Amino acid sequence: MGDLILGIETSCDETAAAVVRDGHDVLSNVVSSQIDIHARYGGVVPEVASRAHVEMMMPVVAEAMVEGGVDKDDLAAVACTVGPGLIGSLLIGVSAAKSLALVWGKPFIAVNHLEAHLYASFLEKPDMELPAVILLVSGGHTMLVLMEGHGQYRLLGQTLDDAAGEAYDKVARYLGLGYPGGPIIDKMAADGDPEAVRFPRAMAKDGYDFSFSGLKTSVVNYVRKNPDVADVDIAASFQEAVVDVLLTKAQRAVHEFDAKGLCLAGGVAANSLLRARTLELAEADGVAGFVPARSMCTDNAAMVAAAGWWRMASDGPAPMDQGANSSLALPTYA
Amino acid sequence: MLMLGIESSTAQVGVAVGSHDGVLASTHSSRDRRHAESIAPMIQFVCQQARIELSDISVVAVDIGPGLFTGLRVGIASAMAVAHGLGVPMIGVSSLDLGAFAAEHSSRLIVPCYDARRGEVFSAQYRSVPGGVQRVTEPAVFTPDELAADLLAQNEEILLLGDGADRYRDQFEMVGNLEFGAKGLWYPSARSLVELAHPKALREEFVLPSEIEPLYIRLPDAEINWKVRDGRA
Ligand SMILES: [Zn+2]
Repeated sequence: MGDLILGIETSCDETAAAVVRDGHDVLSNVVSSQIDIHARYGGVVPEVASRAHVEMMMPVVAEAMVEGGVDKDDLAAVACTVGPGLIGSLLIGVSAAKSLALVWGKPFIAVNHLEAHLYASFLEKPDMELPAVILLVSGGHTMLVLMEGHGQYRLLGQTLDDAAGEAYDKVARYLGLGYPGGPIIDKMAADGDPEAVRFPRAMAKDGYDFSFSGLKTSVVNYVRKNPDVADVDIAASFQEAVVDVLLTKAQRAVHEFDAKGLCLAGGVAANSLLRARTLELAEADGVAGFVPARSMCTDNAAMVAAAGWWRMASDGPAPMDQGANSSLALPTYA
Repeated sequence: MLMLGIESSTAQVGVAVGSHDGVLASTHSSRDRRHAESIAPMIQFVCQQARIELSDISVVAVDIGPGLFTGLRVGIASAMAVAHGLGVPMIGVSSLDLGAFAAEHSSRLIVPCYDARRGEVFSAQYRSVPGGVQRVTEPAVFTPDELAADLLAQNEEILLLGDGADRYRDQFEMVGNLEFGAKGLWYPSARSLVELAHPKALREEFVLPSEIEPLYIRLPDAEINWKVRDGRA
């Protein structure tokens, strides 16, 4: 019946558990989101997040097992995100996952949250051809990764300041649009003119690193000087600048490294313009384009179980004294 | 009945296993706060020492605080998962109850006092009664000066114990008739947890893992600020 992995994810503000067979067949995928709890603070509050995690952890695990029609005896392992993320939140998942693995007599697999995002693509496309260029964009990260094999990543570039999602949140907050900024700006942009304002494309020509703090500043300055320009036009023009920079670099990477595919990963990969442009671009370049379902882009445990399945095969179980690491990096070479 | 107890609400972390014959094995560490790293290996260790299988455990007891938030949650998340994984019930006990219970034979007013950081302590008052201790005030958070003033007003002999008592020793020394608890009483222990939870288990005062509620006492800062801003405080 294949290897069933129970995945657990608590690195930020989603309490999640999922059961996945052989790294791709999703039997259940339960996510308890705290977005509503944090909305009034305009961002994730670590102590508030930790309190919600401890409350939701066991109900979410129980639901994932029931929904997947899985008994503990069927499981091959328990996998859990050990970093990067909020330390207090990570520790709840790690503590619960290790205890479950211990009492069920199953191996415990330590999963890197960034690697888990990269594996979201394999959930739907397990036979995806490599090498592939993966653009990982979320509230905390903006990375351009060349995946050459399973567990083999080259970090081509990353943000030097704000993450793409962070820029969305900050611009949304400045415009008084609410939290989280990504979905709100995405929705407004659909009604705006992306050519209304030509915001700067920072570092578009050099290297693979990104910078978004200058863009955020120029949006703020522009709105201050031109208070009459419609919010929808600002949103559309801002989004156009972000997507333009992200994909200009992703496309250059596809060419330089002869990639067979271009994929999106991370919460910002739920953005509709980014999704549409990625597919267009891949098709124009004659490579496979892949954008995971929106529910697999934002934080979830199915991707953790998928990455855990590969990690179990390559590294085996983690020790019972495994802790969490808030600043864990993607394991890369060069 | 075999009971596993997990305790991690202070700078100390510990695990114990007990039965009708009392505590069968226990271990603790008060070196650096590596609670999340320590608990699972400690569970394995006490089971080996007591020569029992994890699957023989029929109830899980846990310290529900008050205490240092992160450590407290690590213990609760671990204990909930053990209980859920084994399909057994739980018993939650306050850290302050554990502290007082360890001094149950004192004729003084027993006052556990744990460091809550940011210049505050968690505390409650207890009296010795046949078979244990009885709580006479609700657990609360105080500045050391507030607690000292409160104890001064009690006008009776007091046993103050815990790492908070030690940290703010200077403020409490002004209270007359006050004795500081020995170093062995600085932290709630997994041993006390198993001893104190045992009679509760006999009375079947069980809760489901999903019903365990941490005793935070203090709201998250963000929530306090938000309520103040909104005039809801
Ligand atoms: Zn993420």
